[in-house]
Amino acid sequence: MWTYEKRLQYPVKITKPCPKTASLIISQFGGPDGEMAASMRYLSQRYTMPNKEVGGLLTDIGTEELAHLEVICAMIYQLTKNLTVEQAKTAGFDAYYVDHTTAVWPTAAAGVPFNACEFQSKGDAITDLFENLAAEQKARTTYDNLIRIIDNPEVREPLKFLRAREVVHFQRFGEALERVKANLDSKNYYYYNPEFDKQLLKK
Amino acid sequence: MERMQLLKEIGEVSFMVNDLTLYLDTHPTDTEALTMFSDTMNRRKQLLKTYAEQFEPLTMDCVCPEANNQTESYTKYPKQKHFTWSDGPLPWEGGI
Repeated sequence: MWTYEKRLQYPVKITKPCPKTASLIISQFGGPDGEMAASMRYLSQRYTMPNKEVGGLLTDIGTEELAHLEVICAMIYQLTKNLTVEQAKTAGFDAYYVDHTTAVWPTAAAGVPFNACEFQSKGDAITDLFENLAAEQKARTTYDNLIRIIDNPEVREPLKFLRAREVVHFQRFGEALERVKANLDSKNYYYYNPEFDKQLLKK
Repeated sequence: MERMQLLKEIGEVSFMVNDLTLYLDTHPTDTEALTMFSDTMNRRKQLLKTYAEQFEPLTMDCVCPEANNQTESYTKYPKQKHFTWSDGPLPWEGGI
């Protein structure tokens, strides 16, 4: 189960609304490489993970991704708080405003709604961990793209924190992959499915 | 201590706990990291307790209607025994 802690993992204090910026960073909430896909990916994969320590890592990183999702949502909320009608008409935000007013809803920056097809839970430890390594890099690239085009330091600082966490998670998933590989039978050099084909686990 | 300063320290020490957790998930016998984890966790518990006494509880485990929020900040029920979990600002309200 989960318990809630009433604070953000990284403080968000945005003093000036900017719906345009909100419509860009929303991709890290509900976009293809966003925090919702990240948390759902790890928290779904963990049940069949054959290595107990790696299952624990998926729980802990998945939980941290939920905290990241909250940081991104807090940023979207503050960037669209107390908008004037003129501000609501901002290009890039106007279409979203029609459907959601200023509520927070998971979508990609280009308007594609959140979709579970953004992530995979494959039931093969090797496949899943490679998926996770790629996911962390894709999220890192998205943060790089955002940081490149956003000037406001109040928005950039939390984004820089979140970007750094992608790098750490990539490192930890790399270590997890080595642990799973070390536990395979030496003849399984193509690293086939260790949780279904149990004869391929180290005797 | 002031609310924002205390909250900042809780954020820092809790982040250390988060980061050490992931490290220890893949290095469970690193004694140096284990010592650091214990020290940091103790500091976190102490700060959460101090914060809940002065202001609102941040976790359910810190909820204690008799002892919480002695400064009566951000509460709808000053001088009245109440469920202190609802005291304080919401986390997304921009650090107050």
